[in-house]
Amino acid sequence: MDVTVFAQQIANGLVNGMAYVLIATGLTLVFGVLRIVNFAHGEFYMLGAYITYFVGTLLGIDYLAAAAIAAVVVAALGIAANKLIFWPLRRDHEFTILLSSLGLALLISNGGELLFGADPKYVDSPFADEVLDIGAITLTQQRVLVFAAAVVALIGVYLFLRYSRFGKMMRATAQNPDGAALTGINIKLVHGYTFALACGLAALAGALVGPTVMIFPTIGNWAVLKGFIVVIMGGLGSVTGALFAGLLLGVIESLGGGYISLGFMEAIGYAMIIVVLLWRPNGLFSTARGLR
Amino acid sequence: MNGTSMNATSMNGAEILAVQGLTRIFGGLTAVRDVDMTVRTGEVVGLIGPNGAGKTTLFNMLGGSMPPSSGTIRFDGTDCTGAPPHVMGQRGVSRTFQITSLFPSLTVLDNVRSAAYRTTTAGWGAAILRTAAFRRQEAELKRKALDLLAFCDLEDRADTLADALSYGEQRRLEIAIALAAEPRLLLLDEPAAGMNPEEGQRLVEMIRRIRERGVTVLLVEHHMRIVASVCDRLVVLDHGVKIAEGPPAQVLNDPEVIRVYLGREPVDA
Amino acid sequence: MGHTVGMAGGVAALCVLPFLAGNAYLEHLLALWMLYALLALSLNIVIGYLGELTFGHAAFVGVGAYTSALLSTQLGLPPLLGLPLAAVAAALFGLVIGYAALRVVGPQFTILTLGFGSILYTITNNWVDLTRGPMGISDIPPMAIGPMTFTSARETYFLILALVLAVGFLCHALVNSRTGRAFLAVRENAPLAASLGINVFHTKLLGFVVATAIAGLGGAIYAHYIKVITPDIMGVQNVAALIIVVIIGGRGTIVGPILGALVYIGLLEALRVAGPLRMVIFAALLTGTVVFLPGGLVSLWQRWRTTHKADNNLPAGNGVPSAEGGAE
Repeated sequence: MDVTVFAQQIANGLVNGMAYVLIATGLTLVFGVLRIVNFAHGEFYMLGAYITYFVGTLLGIDYLAAAAIAAVVVAALGIAANKLIFWPLRRDHEFTILLSSLGLALLISNGGELLFGADPKYVDSPFADEVLDIGAITLTQQRVLVFAAAVVALIGVYLFLRYSRFGKMMRATAQNPDGAALTGINIKLVHGYTFALACGLAALAGALVGPTVMIFPTIGNWAVLKGFIVVIMGGLGSVTGALFAGLLLGVIESLGGGYISLGFMEAIGYAMIIVVLLWRPNGLFSTARGLR
Repeated sequence: MNGTSMNATSMNGAEILAVQGLTRIFGGLTAVRDVDMTVRTGEVVGLIGPNGAGKTTLFNMLGGSMPPSSGTIRFDGTDCTGAPPHVMGQRGVSRTFQITSLFPSLTVLDNVRSAAYRTTTAGWGAAILRTAAFRRQEAELKRKALDLLAFCDLEDRADTLADALSYGEQRRLEIAIALAAEPRLLLLDEPAAGMNPEEGQRLVEMIRRIRERGVTVLLVEHHMRIVASVCDRLVVLDHGVKIAEGPPAQVLNDPEVIRVYLGREPVDA
Repeated sequence: MGHTVGMAGGVAALCVLPFLAGNAYLEHLLALWMLYALLALSLNIVIGYLGELTFGHAAFVGVGAYTSALLSTQLGLPPLLGLPLAAVAAALFGLVIGYAALRVVGPQFTILTLGFGSILYTITNNWVDLTRGPMGISDIPPMAIGPMTFTSARETYFLILALVLAVGFLCHALVNSRTGRAFLAVRENAPLAASLGINVFHTKLLGFVVATAIAGLGGAIYAHYIKVITPDIMGVQNVAALIIVVIIGGRGTIVGPILGALVYIGLLEALRVAGPLRMVIFAALLTGTVVFLPGGLVSLWQRWRTTHKADNNLPAGNGVPSAEGGAE
């Protein structure tokens, strides 16, 4: 086995994995705090990529600024989605919530196709074509940026959850929603913030990954599936679990794609969750209620 | 009442449930410690104790929804330790739940018919072929279900959705559901919770009539008046340990039991 | 009695319908309607009776379609033999996948079925030697029973109609039997069902396997009718379409999925000019139905009947519809 090729595969895997972690963190936050499995989560990733494209490529605004704008706009859309759909349904059966999130996913992805067209788009980034050599490993600057920005964002999320007032409220709500409400926490506000944070992270992932791939209005399907694999593997509601599972999925897919078959790369990821779930039905990091 | 129940009552005295050294530990906390108890066929036994005494944990172990950490459960001579709930159900142990538990969007009649799973054999295949055995079974099932609804004062609610019943009706339907499985042992988990005294009195009557049907009853209950008037024997748990056992009059005057209950609820027996 | 008359009338109408259609295209739409009704009836066993949401159902349709298509194009097996083999193949996949996925419930089950469905899709898309990948399989021979071939839309319509009626009867027998009541008990309250001696896992597995077998059968019929299949048959769009049909029509009933399929195919056609807006409208319809009419279109009829029956048994008009659909 060639060590350089192997190291390259690992590096590629870690970059992909970091993007999965960004997507999955939002999913797992929404589940942990609100107990909602949001099938529309991937659509916010798609919107993040498209808004970056429109703001950056069409309006000529700097890529990094465009990515930030995309994250903020999508966070606002997340608040709107929560206000219109998920908050009113919060007392309903999980079946209803699952189905309405599916409805929202279809609405956004097909609406996206209507607005953006079905043909692929390319997000411009000044880092997309510049190559960076780290030892024997070669990565584009954009892919290094994906990794670095994701790390920064995740550290930010960690600090936010741990030390900020809203973060503490989110954790309290995750542990015991009724108890949190009794202590005077504004649950409605917490739900809104959680959605904003989750959707913002998904959009950030879309904005970062966008320049490394072609984007279609249907990439949300792909994103939510990856997110779910990671979240299920790491344990629903576990932020730590999402981090490890995301990186693991990225690396395994990359190695599988490199050494077994590129075509079946995706199937390897799915096969992985099945193995994990047969072994630990509640995921690698799942124990009781609460955000970890 | 009918032939089988006469049979069962005449067998009064045989051990139907024998629990030995039953223990359940959660993390570092021992919820139930080394409990021995027996229930005899035809008896009504009350399981009492203050909140957190381990009654529900013990119940969950008997019903199979929680495996014991150690100890054995024998039902009708067979070792059932660690058997899952549906196996306990199939063997003839029915239970009710503390929180109202029924099939909410089915009609009252269908609640009872669904609950009679254990007593029927002809299934989907027979229904497709509409065999004579299937039609006979369904007619019999409907008759039995209506009888049972009459027994629980629900006959005029047969076509109502369970969801739409009043609280008291729902609690009676729960008992009808448990009885529909024709259990040998019925576990009632706080059947009088949330009931007013009048409804409580109705419940006492109903438990007496359940016993007349030949069903052995083990109930967890907080209302001492109910326990004292319906139970043949009481078992008292405190902090997971059995502290007393015997006829209600004796147990409720036991100084230890009074001490445990002091300041919680007047013991009037 | 009223039910029997209504049903006989309904069946008679379904038998006459293609003769009123007047042109081959309308007959094609009728055949598609029946096909979706068949697939939705199978999905309804899982969603409506067992109360678990599966996002992997289209994959089993695909397994059936590919099985029968490959057997007839590669091995020259008559489609009539391919049909049951397609059902068996889909059921085997259903058994293995159900065995793994039904260990978890609720959203986790839904996500797992989505994952399994995606595996099957990915394999079909990439195993070019066997499935020809995205190119799909073409020149699939038409269905034939002895000298009778089902090439036209009208013939196919009657073939699928017979299957829809058969599956409708199966579902009717199910919910009126011990087995089906166990399904509903598990849907309504799994811990209570278990305490009554019902093996929840086995019950769910049985329903899942039967549903996947019927889905496989429907897929095979589709393959022999359309004559071309691609991996898209297993795609997310198809999953969504089937769920939309069941939910809009009314889950947990027999008439619901058939009605939902009519609405779906009808709207799909009526909105043809709207292009991509169609799916947006369907998505809005799905969300709207879930929120405002959880029992689907069928519950409108049930609601009307209860308000006009003016006795004191007023059921709560919310949540899941009762088992007994309308088809009795």
